[in-house]
Amino acid sequence: MINITIDGHKIEAKKGETILQAARRNGHYIPTMCYLTKVKPIASCRLCVVEVEGVDGFILSCQAPVVEGMEVRTDSKELFGHRQNIMKLYDVNHPLECGVCDKSGACDLQNKTLEFGVDAQEFSAKEHKRDLRKWEFIGYDESLCILCEKCVHVCNEVIGDDAIEIHFGGYGSKIQPKGSEELECTNCGECIAVCPVGAMISTDFQYKANAWELERVPASCAHCSAGCALYYERRHTGALDGGSEPKIFRVTNEFEFNTLCGAGRFGYDFENRVENRDEEAFKRVVEAFKNAKTIRFTSRITNEEALILQSLKERFGYKLVNEEALNFSKFLENYASMTGKTLYNGSLESLADSDGVIVVGSRILTDNPAVRYHVTMASKRHNARVVYMHPMEDLQMKNVVTQFVKYEVGTEEGVLAMLARAMLKDKVDIKKIESFLEELDEGYLSAESNVGEEELEEIKNSLKRCKRISLVIGEDCINHPRSANIAKLAALFERFGNLNVLPVAPKTNSLGVSLICDLDEEAEGETIGYNAPGDCVLSSIGGGDLDMPALNQQEGTFTTLDKRVVPTNAALPYGGYTLLDIANAIGLHGRYTIDFTSKLPEEKGFKHVDFDDIPYYFSNREGEVRGYELKRLKHSVDSTLDEVEELPEFNGPVLYRCDPVLQFGPLTAKTSQLGKERPTLFGSSQFAIAAKLKEGMQLKIRVGGVEMERVFTIDPDLKGTIALNPTYDLGLSEDLLSSLYRFSQSKIEVVGQTNE
Amino acid sequence: MARVVFSTWRGESIDNRGKPESEWVESQYKLPEQYEADRNAKAFIGWDGFAIFDEEVDVVRLGTEYAATYQKYSEACGRCAPGRWGGRILYDLMDKIARGEGEVSDLEHLKEVSRTMMETSKCEIGRTVPKPLLDMMEHYEESFMELIEEKRPSKDYHLENIDYIAKVTAPCMDACPTHVDIPAYIEGVRDLRYDDSLRATRQTMPLAHTCGRVCPHPCEDECRRANLDEPISIMELKRLGADYETDHRLEWLHPYQPAKEKIDKKVAIVGAGPAGLTAAYYLGLEGIQCDVYEELPVLGGEVAVGVPEYRMPIDKYNKDIELAKSVGTNFIMNTKVDADMLRRFDKEYDATLLAFGTRLSKKVRAKNEREDMPGYWGAISFLDQVNLWEKYRIGSPVDLTGKTVVCVGGGFTSMDVVRCSIRANAEKVIMLYRRDEKTIIRNTTYEEYHEAVEEGVEFIFHSAVEEIIEDENGRLSKLKVNRFELVPDPDGGRPQLVKIEGADFFIECDYLIPAVSQAADLSLLPEEWELELTSWNTLKTNGRDYMTSRKGLFAAGDCEYGPMTIVNAVGQAKRAASVISRYVRTGEITLTDEEIMEDHLRKLRVYDKSEKVRGWLPGLPRQVSEKLSVEERRDNNREVNLGFTQEEAIAEAERCMRCYYIAMTAV
Repeated sequence: MINITIDGHKIEAKKGETILQAARRNGHYIPTMCYLTKVKPIASCRLCVVEVEGVDGFILSCQAPVVEGMEVRTDSKELFGHRQNIMKLYDVNHPLECGVCDKSGACDLQNKTLEFGVDAQEFSAKEHKRDLRKWEFIGYDESLCILCEKCVHVCNEVIGDDAIEIHFGGYGSKIQPKGSEELECTNCGECIAVCPVGAMISTDFQYKANAWELERVPASCAHCSAGCALYYERRHTGALDGGSEPKIFRVTNEFEFNTLCGAGRFGYDFENRVENRDEEAFKRVVEAFKNAKTIRFTSRITNEEALILQSLKERFGYKLVNEEALNFSKFLENYASMTGKTLYNGSLESLADSDGVIVVGSRILTDNPAVRYHVTMASKRHNARVVYMHPMEDLQMKNVVTQFVKYEVGTEEGVLAMLARAMLKDKVDIKKIESFLEELDEGYLSAESNVGEEELEEIKNSLKRCKRISLVIGEDCINHPRSANIAKLAALFERFGNLNVLPVAPKTNSLGVSLICDLDEEAEGETIGYNAPGDCVLSSIGGGDLDMPALNQQEGTFTTLDKRVVPTNAALPYGGYTLLDIANAIGLHGRYTIDFTSKLPEEKGFKHVDFDDIPYYFSNREGEVRGYELKRLKHSVDSTLDEVEELPEFNGPVLYRCDPVLQFGPLTAKTSQLGKERPTLFGSSQFAIAAKLKEGMQLKIRVGGVEMERVFTIDPDLKGTIALNPTYDLGLSEDLLSSLYRFSQSKIEVVGQTNE
Repeated sequence: MARVVFSTWRGESIDNRGKPESEWVESQYKLPEQYEADRNAKAFIGWDGFAIFDEEVDVVRLGTEYAATYQKYSEACGRCAPGRWGGRILYDLMDKIARGEGEVSDLEHLKEVSRTMMETSKCEIGRTVPKPLLDMMEHYEESFMELIEEKRPSKDYHLENIDYIAKVTAPCMDACPTHVDIPAYIEGVRDLRYDDSLRATRQTMPLAHTCGRVCPHPCEDECRRANLDEPISIMELKRLGADYETDHRLEWLHPYQPAKEKIDKKVAIVGAGPAGLTAAYYLGLEGIQCDVYEELPVLGGEVAVGVPEYRMPIDKYNKDIELAKSVGTNFIMNTKVDADMLRRFDKEYDATLLAFGTRLSKKVRAKNEREDMPGYWGAISFLDQVNLWEKYRIGSPVDLTGKTVVCVGGGFTSMDVVRCSIRANAEKVIMLYRRDEKTIIRNTTYEEYHEAVEEGVEFIFHSAVEEIIEDENGRLSKLKVNRFELVPDPDGGRPQLVKIEGADFFIECDYLIPAVSQAADLSLLPEEWELELTSWNTLKTNGRDYMTSRKGLFAAGDCEYGPMTIVNAVGQAKRAASVISRYVRTGEITLTDEEIMEDHLRKLRVYDKSEKVRGWLPGLPRQVSEKLSVEERRDNNREVNLGFTQEEAIAEAERCMRCYYIAMTAV
């Protein structure tokens, strides 16, 4: 600890902290315009200058570290004068269009202009024509831009797109797409989030509402297992929309502390608008429940709903079928039997803090944006060596990846075994694991997986000096036929290598469901489908036998891949029946769904805590405080590893189940901003030759019994004979594919040719 | 010294206005009163004041142009609110006054904005641009007031025959022989934008891997941060951009788009060392085809066969070499250029650049010194054999097991010799040096010397070989060594080295490796060309355009300067390439204004050791990167310097004060 004084108050600062960080943590105010907590100091606004006793001139507090005994003054007449002058400069020729500016009311420039009493413009500068750009989701108004550079920094340091840059030119400086004429990025919209003024805007939200009219509903994102914190910002619709219904106008995030991808930000209107209870339908469904033996459901439900389903099973003996969550629970079970503890040790925070990262079995850019951002942060903050192992190279990850290792489709088990041998051989002190590693037939594994000894050697060498290594295990491993042994192999890295191992739960609440529900292997008898196909279907995307509330219409919790139980709240009303209503009708007695929050199983690591007592706030002292972490519990140990099975061979064209960026399934597909995308099979020109396809062909594809129509497009960034096949558009049928190994050799039938 | 009418430069206060010329006071600084041989300068204005050489100068216009220049050049900065907008306001207000529309209140606003810029700007450019303008408003107040009161434009306002030539510089950039935009590449590190960092470096320095590892960094001697605490670790920060490009296997990050098509001009370059590679790269970027002739079977010159692997890993250097190749350079290896070939080049190429270095080891000037004596081993051929084997597996390894090696030297080459000898398993390695420890550190680096000591090299200072003694078989066996002491000059001059009588001693050894200096092998020069040489037998040029006494024949690097640093060779070759690129098109030898200003500023000196730095927290330690321990490195060629961790790199980059300045000459 370092003792310093700020404005006469003694405070304890942390070593390596800046003056501004120490001040903020301790509740002392220093004005800034360009400071963004989650990136390196930008140092462009100069408002944060302070006086330090004994030092000549003013010191930039966002960048200067604390020094023992330092006496800081954050305010004085002179400081105020300079800050006021800086605000005068910021205000020169800034368009007086606050009345129609999206940012008005939540604008840093407005706030600081008032704070420093700038009420007149005493000098001006010659103006020139300023850009007004509009891309798909993101717009940029140069005349409103104050060039704080927050957008540029967040895009590069947190997201990893590095898609925008400053065009330098003094007064003519502006933000522009980097390396291309038009903006080419993953459309996360963080640039909009961090913009302190109305320069970077959501093209959809523009002119729709004022900041002060919107009510913020704190929630957790429903799209993937990162469950990021977000606010649904709602208001009643206006006269133009023909009504006074509550409506979500946009999604925002606490951008100082957390980050949101474009699916969370732009894909929010997936609600299932139901005004009244359909009693007839309800009765039919209750009857169906009485006849049914099985409930099939997806992992896009809350923990509480999962517990209701589990209670129904316990009470009435339903089979609970969710193959994807079952795969994950088996993965976790096998993992735990190797480490002797439930769950896993990795987390997003430890990932971002790593100086070495290995990713196996995931197309990380689209699979889980939060994981990708944390890999980016590791790369940028710690110059992490990033080893990316996958059958397909992802060129968009190039700026963070230091070594790409291509392995053959299906060989994940062999690859992980060889990796374990290369990295852990000298560290294992259990005889049978030692001999397992020793006896691996490396010649065979290497030949079949196409991962060479030199590549493994290079991985080992490049990670040699790393002190904090993370291993990210993707869905390709979890939904692999050999998942059980793969889990045990992955666990070796935690147990012997001291690596942080982070399995990426495939769906929003896969982890919660796999812990809460005692899942069955097979369905039997009549099946109720909850957001899944069945003889009687309950659906939150509409079109089923009974409507259900969508995840933005529900209270409850998710269990994220970060092993945290996080709360979400209802942003929109729902007039119909809920799962609990049905459960009650058939004999369960619950008052509110969230009454189940405190009943989540302690023996799985949950806490008996009421929904309303789960924290959800942000502060300068603690950052994001949301939910609670699951407890890792003791587990019996079984150090037996299966021999690596003969590696499968996939010859010829292969399809990889992979949604494009921002798509995660029926929810995103349903939203107005994200739903316009046409489902496309993306392949390389090599794939086109192998599969005898041409650009623009219309295809019919059958994977795992589900038929889908696709248009084929050649992506010049792709190589090899694997194509990316999305499933987000398949509605409830998507569920039938989500537990399958993602690579498949499926029949592709050409049914036509588009004109493009 | 310069004759000035008026000067506030570096705090001097000279006002010769209205005085007879005989009473004029001269400026004590080397201000550029003469811009070029045939062009006198009218005024000079910069970060530290302004000077008027010609009484007729329109000061208000001069100030306005200076403010305008800051606008124009602010792409070098323009990164903070006070600088970006303040600079614009300065210009607009100055221009308003100059064109005759000014108000008295504009002067007040000017001063107010200046004050905030000077206190809060991010870079020195923003902090210093107001300084000469405030000086003007103080000392030439009447000129401003006249325009304001009479509402008329300043007298030169509409004149177009005056050139206002500006240049952005910084103390470190000025000190660097290649004038690398150091603040920009450091900012790239600070901003975690390594692509920007590398592009900034490559504007003038293509060997980023190399000079991020083995540069003696003269820039750090003129780093303004030293005035506050310690200089920035400038050199090591350079390597981050290059490592980023290599680690992520990116496409080449050129400073600007290479010419799409070749122009119909060809240049021959003799020698593929740092100078040759540099010239080939910059000419190649411009679409000029270069054929580089190299005597050795490998590319890279002394950095390849001289600098050892543990200091400069060849796979990294090869990246720099590949960069030079990437612009279409044609390398012809294993080809020793002779006079006939040069004559042929003279006809077949549009220009020829000699960059063959200095590859002859000089003698130590001892009695009985014979190059053919077994045991006598020139540093160049010793290092050739070590490096060709260790890096390329060409030839045979040097094995010194059980041997005693004595090296005479004191510079980088001798350090390489002794440390390679350790790695070749020598039993004992001794370095003899005429001067003291302090000097050897100054001539090399602190790290280099200490690492050698750690590895077990024995340094004997104040000593020199008087005689080489051979055994019965004619093999070198013993050295007679004199000892010296430093005797202060009673008249206050430089202390003299004086031999201590009776202190001679003998060293028994197997090898004597002279590494005192190297000379250029000039045997390839056609005699009839009668090329002018320097007194130390290198090719003579004027040190500005690098053309020899023969038109179209240029020389850069050690063969021009004498054995010097890599960065010196790169700097010369960069300039030579610039001159050549114009020469092959126009047949004329010219320098750009940028280059002329560069030379003027170097003469004037940008760094001011006695300046007091304000607005920065002092006492932040310079980061030191991790090195392999002696045990880890002594017997192998692993790179000793592990480079900065990201945390160290950023902390170091954040110490940089971005001391950009603008200077401008009115001609």
